[in-house]
Amino acid sequence: MPVVELSYSNLQKLIGKVTKKQISDSLPFLGLDVESEDNDLVRIEYSPNRPDYSTNFGIALGLEGLLGIKTGAIKLNIKKSNKYRISVKPSVSKIRPFVTGIVAKNGKIDDKIIKQLMVMQEDLHFGIGRKRKKSSIGIHDLDKITFPLVYTTTNRNHKFVPLNSDAEISISEILNTVNVGKEYGSLLGNSSQVPIILDTNQKTISFPPIINANTTTVTTKTKNLFVEVTGINKEDAEDMLSVIATILQSAGFTLENVQIFGLKNSSPKFEQKKISVNPNLANQTLGLDLSTSKIISCLKKSRLGAVSKGKNILCTIPAYRFDIFGSMDLVEEIALGYGIQNLEPTFSPSQTIGQTNPVSNKLKSLDQIMIGLGYLEALNSSLTSKRVLYDMTGRNPSKILSVLDSKSQEHTILRNSILPELLENLSRNIHESYPQKLFETGSVFSLDDPISEKINFSGISTHKDANFTEIKSILQSALKIGFGIDLETKATSDSLFEEGRCATVIVNSKPIGVIGEINSKVIENYKIQSKVVGFEISLSDFIFKSS
Amino acid sequence: MSQVFHDIEKKIINSLKNNPKQTPESLEKSTKLSPDQIRRGIEWLKLKELAIIDESKTSFISLGKNGIESLQKGLPERRLLNFLKDGPKKLSELQKELGYIFGPAMGLARKNNWVQASSEEISIQNFPSELPGEKTLKKISNNKISLNEIDKNDLLGLMKRPDFIIEDIITTKEITLTDSAKLLEISNFSGAIDVEAKVPQVFVAKTHPLKDTINEIREIFVTLGFSEIIGNMTQSSFWNFDALFTPQDHPARELQDTFYLDGISAKKIANFEQIKKVSESHKKNWHYHWDINEARKMVLRTHTTCVTIKHLAENRLDEARVFSLGRVFRNEKVSYKHLVEFNQIEGVVVGKDATLRNLMGIQREFYKRIGITKIKFWPTFFPYTEPSLQTMVYNERLGKWIELFGMGIFRPEVTKPLGISKPVLAWGGGIERIAMLKYELDDVREFYNNNLNWLRSATKCQ
Repeated sequence: MPVVELSYSNLQKLIGKVTKKQISDSLPFLGLDVESEDNDLVRIEYSPNRPDYSTNFGIALGLEGLLGIKTGAIKLNIKKSNKYRISVKPSVSKIRPFVTGIVAKNGKIDDKIIKQLMVMQEDLHFGIGRKRKKSSIGIHDLDKITFPLVYTTTNRNHKFVPLNSDAEISISEILNTVNVGKEYGSLLGNSSQVPIILDTNQKTISFPPIINANTTTVTTKTKNLFVEVTGINKEDAEDMLSVIATILQSAGFTLENVQIFGLKNSSPKFEQKKISVNPNLANQTLGLDLSTSKIISCLKKSRLGAVSKGKNILCTIPAYRFDIFGSMDLVEEIALGYGIQNLEPTFSPSQTIGQTNPVSNKLKSLDQIMIGLGYLEALNSSLTSKRVLYDMTGRNPSKILSVLDSKSQEHTILRNSILPELLENLSRNIHESYPQKLFETGSVFSLDDPISEKINFSGISTHKDANFTEIKSILQSALKIGFGIDLETKATSDSLFEEGRCATVIVNSKPIGVIGEINSKVIENYKIQSKVVGFEISLSDFIFKSS
Repeated sequence: MSQVFHDIEKKIINSLKNNPKQTPESLEKSTKLSPDQIRRGIEWLKLKELAIIDESKTSFISLGKNGIESLQKGLPERRLLNFLKDGPKKLSELQKELGYIFGPAMGLARKNNWVQASSEEISIQNFPSELPGEKTLKKISNNKISLNEIDKNDLLGLMKRPDFIIEDIITTKEITLTDSAKLLEISNFSGAIDVEAKVPQVFVAKTHPLKDTINEIREIFVTLGFSEIIGNMTQSSFWNFDALFTPQDHPARELQDTFYLDGISAKKIANFEQIKKVSESHKKNWHYHWDINEARKMVLRTHTTCVTIKHLAENRLDEARVFSLGRVFRNEKVSYKHLVEFNQIEGVVVGKDATLRNLMGIQREFYKRIGITKIKFWPTFFPYTEPSLQTMVYNERLGKWIELFGMGIFRPEVTKPLGISKPVLAWGGGIERIAMLKYELDDVREFYNNNLNWLRSATKCQ
């Protein structure tokens, strides 16, 4: 989950009459987890579906509602203007067909605000922008731009001075040498034409979704901003813009509209959604009995508009709250406005009889039998490594089930056997006292349209006198006492075991596993100092036939 | 009351009174006890602080295969020099005479300028009468000799050569009595044993501590009226993600968070109706092109919720309490906080009592039964529940609030496409976290290290 650093004093300034304690007590009930606190600074985790919480301004709006200082939906006041126009050329249709934008004037821009805008921008890029693929933002100094703008395409030899640079370089060079170019260049595929925003003097403003031009860099001297969002989907681009517009307005900017023409583009409307919710649904879902007027006040505390309409409540949802899909989302907003701390848990006795799964029952019995036989239970990962399963044991590595891009070398393939892991366990305990006896039951995996999962049972014993008879007695007793099953053993050979000391385990004339004295070379690989005997059988084949 | 000693102890003490410094072997001879009895007796006396055991390690060396050969036939370089005594020889003659030792012999001889090589022939130069290593070879001969008796400089060259020298480290023990033991009067009365003596620890076979926690949690949910369902750890992306309203381009579905099985896709993932309705819900709400091939990709389940949702979709129950419990997987860097594979419990309630306050009540009841009473609920976000909450529990030992189970009511966008008409309460969380609190562990990896010291000593009843 994304994390943002806030300042209590700054929040207090934005909200007005509120104490630091009131703020810190309320943050969790907005859905914000306090990660760490250091005097005035607090780091909080917020949900990826609420990008408006990536700034002090957005959190202040939420807190004002929850604390009852300012409630109801936040309205965007956008001054109508004909000065700012973007025309869209048809050539962008195949690569990044949509653009939208807004102008924000007369705000106070200091380092702190620039930092917050950058954090919000990155969060939007990562979250709803899907790493800039769906939509991406450029924030510019309005006064460096001569409107109207054109959103078009250009070839990869087109040159301009990119952000944080003083030399003119080509698009190809940007994509090959500049970090953001290398990271996001793949979004443009192999297309020879790339999107570009030019001003009326043919000056490059932005190369979406990669980088802005240096000329429009926002500094502490900037007074007025121009924000553009480009993307592959109109709704997503406008959603993104609505978050930025809301935050800029609450940061003290005056908004003016930008007109968009061409292709399927149109000027952004920041339309509020209307969704109605039935008070009964809210009360049934939450387990409460709230009056309609109380529900309306809860919704307003969650910064939504709400009026009673017939039996329902009609809610007005500002454009930036695109996390709200339907009436159930409104029920959550009611719960938040009501205050989760005010919801008293209730306990209703069960009408059903609970039961454990038969598989769990049988495994639990088997655990008890193995304990009676003096075996300690081990637990290993299902996801293990080629080293443990094959390299150390000399087993044949065929039909390996691997996972992609594991961050841990020790966890790259699914096990098809437990015994090698038990051997690995012994090798890590050579300094502990002997005898050492371990068992484990658990899932093993194999390729079978697509994958078969079976439950295996494996045991291992090591001490200086360990031998075949001992381990066969153990398995024989476990199966006889556990399941009334008699086993037979038939000589076989297996690379994991010593030649002539290994047998197939047979139940009801069917092979179910293998048992024997572990090959001395394997023992040597593991630097284990004494003899080792072990077995592994599949339980799925005869105990859990149905699974 | 005078101290009571075992007969073994008496014999050892008496022998040590006569002869104060002894090895276990000399004690065997003087007391006529078996090696095992001596070993035990010494341990007992040591525990009672009556005997001191001084362990010293001595290195012994003997000749390896090549060393023995050189002892018999001379070092390779000596054999080379001997052969050259009667005059210069051609390279090919030398190779024929010396065979596989030619290389090392020639190398050493040339390095030390004992021989000179012209284009045609090899001839002898000045060389010492005793070559490096020869003194040591003779000294060791066919014996095992303490390293202290050897000239280390002369040995060094031999040590570097393969299979010349074998080094054994032999531990010797010297046993002496402590001052208080020297003063002991040993009674000759036999038959009494030292009932106050410490006894050895016997290791008890038992189930894994984490398994105990899992069983405990399973039992609590069964007594709360829940039935256990089980399902596969490998699942199609459809049930792990799509059915739970997680869009196909969601960051959680990327390789860096989820384990995808290399090149494995499921042919049949769900019925036609389910696939149709789920994909429609995605297209409508997330505005993107839904791809069935993405849904076919097999993953290691990232939660057990895929098992429950499948159960609900297949059975469409109006009233149910079920839970599933098992391993789940996340592609994380392993650390003291994170594992790639851990256990999760996950339960659902379907029916008329399905309210958020009841969901909170079930949680409170569960925590009470595992001994946690200080809890609170915070709002949070999950892609497939609305409203969503998390439990925070207070841990006295750590002095802070810890996040445990997450919970919520399945979104209509999840339930409707699958034909589930009644509200579904769901909750779940990691079991290792609870077990860590129970066993006071700060490193979650301990559960899967299978460290015998910990497995044998962890207290069973907590």
